[in-house]
Amino acid sequence: MSRLLVVDDEANIRLLYAEELKDEGYEVVTAASSAEATEKLQKGVFDLAVLDIKLKNESGIDLLQKLVKERHDMPVILCSAFSCYKDDFSAWLADGYVVKSGDLTELKQEIARLLAKKMQKEKTKL
Amino acid sequence: MDQECCCWNKDGIRQADCPEIGAGEEELLVSKRQRNLDKCCECPRFLNDLKQLHDDANPLAPVLTSFLEEYRRQKTQIQSLVSFLDIKTLEIRFLHELGSVLQSSVDLDEVLSVALTAITSGKGFGMNRAFLLLCDREAGMLKGYLGLGPRNMEEASRVWNEILQNDMDLQSLAQNFQHNKLSSEREKFHDILEQLTVPYSNTEHILIKALEGKRPIMVERAYEHPDVPPELARLLGVDTFLLMPLISRNRRVGMIIADNCITHRTITEEDMHSLETFGFPVAFAIERASLYDKLQVELKRVTEAGKKLKEQQELIVRMENMALVGRITSSIAHSVRNPLMIIGGFARSMLKNSPASDPKRTFMESIVDETRQLEGVLDEILNYSDSLYPTRDFWDVNQLVETVLRDTADNLTSLGYATTYVPGYHLSPVYIDFKQLSYCLRTVLQNDIAGIGTDRSIVINSENCADGVILKVEDHSRDISQAELDHLLVPFSETRDLGAGLGLALCKTMLEKQGVLFVAQSDTHDGIRYTITLPTRKEEHS
Repeated sequence: MSRLLVVDDEANIRLLYAEELKDEGYEVVTAASSAEATEKLQKGVFDLAVLDIKLKNESGIDLLQKLVKERHDMPVILCSAFSCYKDDFSAWLADGYVVKSGDLTELKQEIARLLAKKMQKEKTKL
Repeated sequence: MDQECCCWNKDGIRQADCPEIGAGEEELLVSKRQRNLDKCCECPRFLNDLKQLHDDANPLAPVLTSFLEEYRRQKTQIQSLVSFLDIKTLEIRFLHELGSVLQSSVDLDEVLSVALTAITSGKGFGMNRAFLLLCDREAGMLKGYLGLGPRNMEEASRVWNEILQNDMDLQSLAQNFQHNKLSSEREKFHDILEQLTVPYSNTEHILIKALEGKRPIMVERAYEHPDVPPELARLLGVDTFLLMPLISRNRRVGMIIADNCITHRTITEEDMHSLETFGFPVAFAIERASLYDKLQVELKRVTEAGKKLKEQQELIVRMENMALVGRITSSIAHSVRNPLMIIGGFARSMLKNSPASDPKRTFMESIVDETRQLEGVLDEILNYSDSLYPTRDFWDVNQLVETVLRDTADNLTSLGYATTYVPGYHLSPVYIDFKQLSYCLRTVLQNDIAGIGTDRSIVINSENCADGVILKVEDHSRDISQAELDHLLVPFSETRDLGAGLGLALCKTMLEKQGVLFVAQSDTHDGIRYTITLPTRKEEHS
C-alpha cells in the first residue's frame, strides 16, 4: 500500500483528502504546517506528497524546494487555488500540479500516474 | 632766376605747364602749396632751380636742400606706415569676419573648415596648405585630423581660379568646403594625416615642443633642422613651414601646420604674428565645439537615463498595482475556493457512498452541480483579474503554438480532433505576454461552443505581415452564427451559463489589453476562423 503525505492548513481539506484517498487504497498521513510535515517526513517514509501551495503564513514553494532537495525520489503534487501557478517557474520543481476542486478526479489521476512512474523507475534500477 | 618761368612759384598753372600732374589731379593746378608738396620736390625743373641757387651761392640753398631731404624721408616713412595700416585694417576686418563666423558655430567640422579655409584663402592668410592636428587627451596624443590645400600645381591653378571666379566671402568658402570637399580632402590627405600622430611623451619632437612651448615656431631648412625628424620633413615635402599651437584657456587644443608648398613664397615674421593672433579664437572655437559635442553626448545619456527612470517609476507603480490585484485575487481565491472545494468534495463523497434509493441524492447532486458551476465562475474571475496587467516580452511564435498544442494534445485527441500547424518562414519575434497568449490559444482550441460538426479538424497558420505576425486558427467543427459568436465575445454577457460563456470574451479582453488584434469570424458551413495579429514592435498600449 502506497503511503501519502498530505500537507494543507485547512482541517476540512485534510479530512476530505484523507477520506477520498483512503477509499482509493492509499495510506494517508496529514500535516497542517511545514514544520509538522518535516517532522513526519523525518519519522517515516512516504511514496508521494500532496502539498498546498499556500500554508497560512508559509509558502508551500519553500517546503517544495526542501522536499526536492532532501527527498528527490519522492514525487510531489502541488495544489493551489490559482491555475496561473502552473506557468510560474518556481512551481516547475513539482512533479505534478492540480488546481483545487471539489472534484478530486484530476488529483487521483495525477497520484496514480506519478506512483506508477515511480514504480517503473525503481524496477529499472533493480 | 627767371621767376616768371618757375611754375612752382605760380598760384595757378595750366596742365601743359607741369608734366608731373596727371589726369585726376587737376586740383593741384590751382593749389600752389599742395602742388609744391606733392609734385615740385621731385620735379626736375624745381631741382634745377635749386641747383641754380647753389650755383649762385645763395645761403638758402643748403638749408632748402636739407629740408627737402628730410621731407622726402618723412614722406616715405608715412607712405610705409599707411601701407602697414592698410594691411592691418584688412587683417582686423578679416579677423572680425572670422570671429563672427566662428562664434556662430558649435559644429566641430564647421569650425575646422572655417579655420583651415581662413589660413589657405587668398582673402585670409593666403597660405598654400594647412594641416590641423587635434589633441586626444585620453590617448595622450596629437593626431592629424584634417588637411586642406592643393597637392600639385595643376590642382592649385584649378582651385584658385575657381575661388577667384566665385568671389565668395569666408563663410561661403568655409560652407562650400564643408559641404563639398571636407570628406574628399580628408581622404586626399589621409596618408599624411595618419603619419602626423605624435604621442605627448615624445618631448623631443618639434610638434610636441611647439605645443608645450605654446608659441608658434617657424621651421626653416627643415631637412637639416636638428629638432625636425627627417620623416616629418619628407612627409611634408617642404623646407619651410609654420607650426602654430592652438591653446585655449591654457589648455592644449591642437596644432596647425601651414606651408607654401606650391608657390614657395617666404613665410615672414609678420605672417607668423598674424597667424598667432588668429590662433586664439580658432582654439577657443574648437574647444567650444568639442565641449558642445561632449555636452550633446552627455545630454543624450541623461535624456535616456531620464526616460529609463520614468519607465522604472511606471513599472514600480504597475508592480504596486499588480501586487494589490494579486493580494485581492489571492484572498478571493483562498477564501472562496477552499470552502467551495470542501462543500463540493464532501457532497461528492456522500453521493458516492449513498445508495441509489436514497431520496437525498437529488439534493447532493444539486450541491455538486452548483459548486462545479461556482468553481468555473471563480476560475474565470481569477483569470480576468490576471489579465489586467500583462507582462510582455519578445517570444517565438512557433514556441507559443507548439507549447499550446502539446498542452492540449490529450484533451483534443480524446475529443477526436486532428490539429495541424503550418508555420510561416522567418517569423519575427512577437511582443506578447506568453502566459496570457497561451491561455487564449488554449481557450480558442478547447472552447465550449456548442454545435460540433463532423469535420473535427483545426488548422493553425502563421505568417509575417506589415503590423506583426498573423496567427490564423481555423476550427472547422463549429456551427455557430456570427451574431451568436459576437455575443460570446462580450464579457459577462452570457449570464445564463457563466462558466462556459466568459472564455472567448476574456481572451478578447486580454489580447486587446496587449494591443493584439483579435477577430473571430463565423461561417455556418465552414466553422470559425480566429485571426490574431501579434505585434513585433515594443509599443505602449493603454
